[in-house]
Amino acid sequence: MPDWSKLVHDHLAQLALEQGERAEVIEELAAHLDETFADLRHRGFGEQDATQRCLSEVNDWRDLCRKIQTARRKESIMSNRVTQFWTPGLVTFLLSTVLLALSEIFGPKPWLLTWGHAPTAVVYIPWLMALPLVGAVGAFLSHRAGGSRRAIISSVIFPVVPFIAAILVVAPASLAFDHSIAHHIAPESIFMGLLGLVLAPGAALLAGGLLPARFLRRRSTSRNPTS
Amino acid sequence: MIRSGVKRGTAELAILSVLETGELHGYEIARRIEQQTRGKLRFTLASLYPLLYRMENNGWVRGAWEVSGHGRRRRRYKLTAAGKKKVSPLRKEWSELFRALRRLAKVAHA
Repeated sequence: MPDWSKLVHDHLAQLALEQGERAEVIEELAAHLDETFADLRHRGFGEQDATQRCLSEVNDWRDLCRKIQTARRKESIMSNRVTQFWTPGLVTFLLSTVLLALSEIFGPKPWLLTWGHAPTAVVYIPWLMALPLVGAVGAFLSHRAGGSRRAIISSVIFPVVPFIAAILVVAPASLAFDHSIAHHIAPESIFMGLLGLVLAPGAALLAGGLLPARFLRRRSTSRNPTS
Repeated sequence: MIRSGVKRGTAELAILSVLETGELHGYEIARRIEQQTRGKLRFTLASLYPLLYRMENNGWVRGAWEVSGHGRRRRRYKLTAAGKKKVSPLRKEWSELFRALRRLAKVAHA
């Protein structure tokens, strides 16, 4: 018979509850599996069949972990959003902003991209090279708090959100309503801005964020090969 | 008026209904529901416990540890006063949903 306590304990390793409360949840779920197994055996199932049926009680341990966490925590949903999205998102945003400032002050001259007569996009290569690390930090923080894939990705790309807002909302609005700005800003410059401030840094953040997220997910699901 | 959260409500009603008959632990709750619905409703470990914990947080059920005859520790759940009050409105919602579906089916067949 499998060691249900160990199995549940391994799968719920990331259950972010107080130690005593976590131990109670693990004990209760292990007792449930234990009883399911005993009942199945009593009804004539072979040991392997009974084990498989017990294991099929949970398809996604990570999802169960998240649901239990939400259900047990008094502050629940809001608190989860703060720990899984807002905190990692703000950390990545702060790190990215500080690194951009450092690149501007101490780094080499930026790479200037031009497209016809459009204003240039300014690309800070050291900043871009550091962004995967920032993305990895965001992914790690969100994952550690039990964040879903969507929460992880959102917090990883959070630093480029203000740039998207500025370029896609403010710039077209300025073009439409302010003729003196329109005179200086061509639509091509919006694309150049998107490329330099959103697409390139966004890709760098994602490259750094998705790899560790994948690794951490794989590690948490491979802790027990029976799952 | 049927709430959008009726699906969760029906699952809650199933648990509250079986707990109306007496105190039960998690596995017994799942088995009892499966038996009484002749297998139509089945709670797995993954679907049962998050719901039970949420209901406990809402104050509808209360869990307490006990030691079984085999020396195994189990958590037994019982309905609280707030839980008992919740049963009747949930039952009404459930039967409203059935009535609405029956009406809808009749219109569709006509």
